Amino acid sequence: MAISTTPLIHLSSVTKEYPLGNTTVHALRGVDLTVSKGDFMSIVGPSGSGKTTLLNIIGCIDQATSGSVVIDGQEITTMNDKQITDLRLYKIGFIFQTFNLIPVLNVIENVEFPLLLMKTFSKTEVRSRAERLIEAVGLSEHSQHRPAELSGGQRQRVAIARALVTQPAIILADEPTANLDSETGNQILELMRDLNQKEHTTFIFSTHDHNVLAYAKKIVKIKDGLITE
Amino acid sequence: MPLIFTIAWRNIFRHRGKSLVIGVILFLGAFLMTVGSGIITGLDRGLKDNIVNSFTGDLLVISSKQINNAVLTPMSGAASEPINNFIQFRSVLKQHKMIDHYVPAAQGTPMVMSDEGDPDFNFIIGVDFKQYRTMFPDKFRVLEGRQPKDGERGLLLTEFNRRTNYEYLLNYWVIPEGAKLVTANLSKEALTAYTKGTLRVKEKMVFMGMNDKTSAMDIMPPVLGIIKFKALDTFIGISNLVDIETYRECFGYTTAAESHVTLNKEQASLLTNADLSDDDLFSNETMFGSAGSSASDYSIHSVKQETARTLVVTENHLDVDAGMYNMIFIKLKSGVPLLKAVNVLNQDLKPYGVRVITWRQALGEIAELATIIKASLFIFVMFIFFVAIIIIMNTLSMAALERVSEIGMMRAVGARKGFISKMFFSETAFLSFFFGGLGILVGLITITILSWIGLSTDNDMLQLLYGGARFHPFLTMGDIVACLIQLSIVTVISTLYPMRVARQITPLHAIAKD
Ligand SMILES: Nc1ncnc2c1ncn2[C@@H]1O[C@H](COP(=O)(O)OP(=O)(O)OP(=O)(O)O)[C@@H](O)[C@H]1O
Ligand SMILES: [Mg+2]
Repeated sequence: MAISTTPLIHLSSVTKEYPLGNTTVHALRGVDLTVSKGDFMSIVGPSGSGKTTLLNIIGCIDQATSGSVVIDGQEITTMNDKQITDLRLYKIGFIFQTFNLIPVLNVIENVEFPLLLMKTFSKTEVRSRAERLIEAVGLSEHSQHRPAELSGGQRQRVAIARALVTQPAIILADEPTANLDSETGNQILELMRDLNQKEHTTFIFSTHDHNVLAYAKKIVKIKDGLITE
Repeated sequence: MPLIFTIAWRNIFRHRGKSLVIGVILFLGAFLMTVGSGIITGLDRGLKDNIVNSFTGDLLVISSKQINNAVLTPMSGAASEPINNFIQFRSVLKQHKMIDHYVPAAQGTPMVMSDEGDPDFNFIIGVDFKQYRTMFPDKFRVLEGRQPKDGERGLLLTEFNRRTNYEYLLNYWVIPEGAKLVTANLSKEALTAYTKGTLRVKEKMVFMGMNDKTSAMDIMPPVLGIIKFKALDTFIGISNLVDIETYRECFGYTTAAESHVTLNKEQASLLTNADLSDDDLFSNETMFGSAGSSASDYSIHSVKQETARTLVVTENHLDVDAGMYNMIFIKLKSGVPLLKAVNVLNQDLKPYGVRVITWRQALGEIAELATIIKASLFIFVMFIFFVAIIIIMNTLSMAALERVSEIGMMRAVGARKGFISKMFFSETAFLSFFFGGLGILVGLITITILSWIGLSTDNDMLQLLYGGARFHPFLTMGDIVACLIQLSIVTVISTLYPMRVARQITPLHAIAKD
């Protein structure tokens, strides 16, 4: 299947500065980046190089200090809170470095959460979509469990299922395997690669684990807030 | 159940401690508020029953020359300015669509003399007994003696005055004409004297009225009965009742009997015509001017002696009304708003040199005391609210901050600010509905039980709080609705700030928390 050449994500001259006392931390110093639909991209770099910052800006949960960020043809730097929230809901799936689930909802309800926010699907469709993804991440037996009753790896998989359930165009994962043992980590990477190949979902994940890089189709290196390669 | 409610509902149980704190506060707030408004309504109703319906009516007409409104307060001492033209505006009152009943009266404070000639004062109200009973039926009990017959002249001495007169001034105990001494009704001191055999008993009291000519009139009306108001006796039991003609004699005003004599036949027949139109009344104004000219004409006193006893037989209301009064008690038809009636009646009565005041104004500080009690209760309830709002607000704000990562993550996944607000509000609303509702319910039950127990008191201050001798807290449907509205207001106000805090949580806050 042909992959569209129009860029899904386009960053140009993006900078991010954090004021820190009297000084300023330059987390990003002018990043240009283009991501196409169907990419399976890994961002690598040492700790503190700006990976998380970059993913947060692409994922619309942080704002660039300067520069332009275009996602699916829309410039996001000028959007209001509602538009950005809806963009997150409909276009982006986010898997955090630590696993954030809603404590009072069980596994299946957590996965259903973004679908219910959309209010576009029937109850049965919501349920069947969520069940399909829970099965894909191997948690069918735990679908009624609350997050507190799951292991770290299991929670991470719930977060992945939740990110995928809306079939977003882009999935961002910030060190998705950092808190997992290598076997579970590999299982998750397999799952992501599967989805990429079958559904052409665009993946961008950060890591500084060189094992993970084996999965990546594209690698972007970042150092001191600048893309080096 | 919609997603938001599910999350809110489960969060209540997840954060049990906090929910319970908020719940208990809402419960207590709603409970105290309900009980408070039950007491206030009971007080209002009690006052209405015991003062308005037994003693003052809703409104009073007084002379526009009268400076102090508090015409029923004993402290004022001097008699109120006379109204000599009642007969002119009587038909206005009679036909008025807002008025249910009225009774003209005259209040004054004659001296009571001890055998040693020491003076003290007693408060008396002169009325036509029959009219008075029609307006205030069954509001006082006759402890000894009897009710006056129609048109009969004499004194109804209050139990309160008999006792205080005995204790502070007179050295004798007063009983009604032809009645036997009832030892059970003796005051402590009187009983002591009685057991010692030193109690002196009399059937008459001497009152000495003063007028602006400084000539004092001694009168010795027959004591017909000893009466006691059903409640608030200390406050309203200070007023003895006397027939209006005796009052007029006592204070040297023109009695109706004298007016009768000074009128020629034609004029008298005009007066007795019950269907007098206003025009007739105005055209005869000068006639009344002379008839009602108060204490100025003393030659008529000789006539009085002859007419006094026949009066009983020949008098009718119209004749009585030709004389002097100084206030008219008015009872409004039910549902007529008090202040509106004051305005309307003031307009209608303007030409007659009189003005209309409310029973509260007429009572002066007694009514103020009741208002103060009511206001304190209200302030207390408001204070409870204020404290409840502060505590709930604080607890919820802390809860919001403790849930930063959860809320931030919801936002990251695509929940709008409105979702977070609704979730937060639903949690408080559930608590408010359950605990607050329970508070109102328990309050309602408490009020019902209290009312059913029917605490009673002889204490004067408590009687003011109770609105009478018995404590009958009471809740109307309107009160309950008001409680629900107040509860909702508390819920909304106390959630606004925490909601704002929660809305401002961003996904970044959640990430920074890690
Ligand atoms: N909120 C903040 N305030 C100040 N400085 C910040 C903040 N967030 C990040 N930084 C700084 O920005 C730079 C980039 O941080 P970032 O978290 O993007 O690095 P990273 O590549 O994700 O590192 P790691 O691999 O350790 O997760 C770092 O120097 C960091 O100290
Ligand atoms: Mg990072």
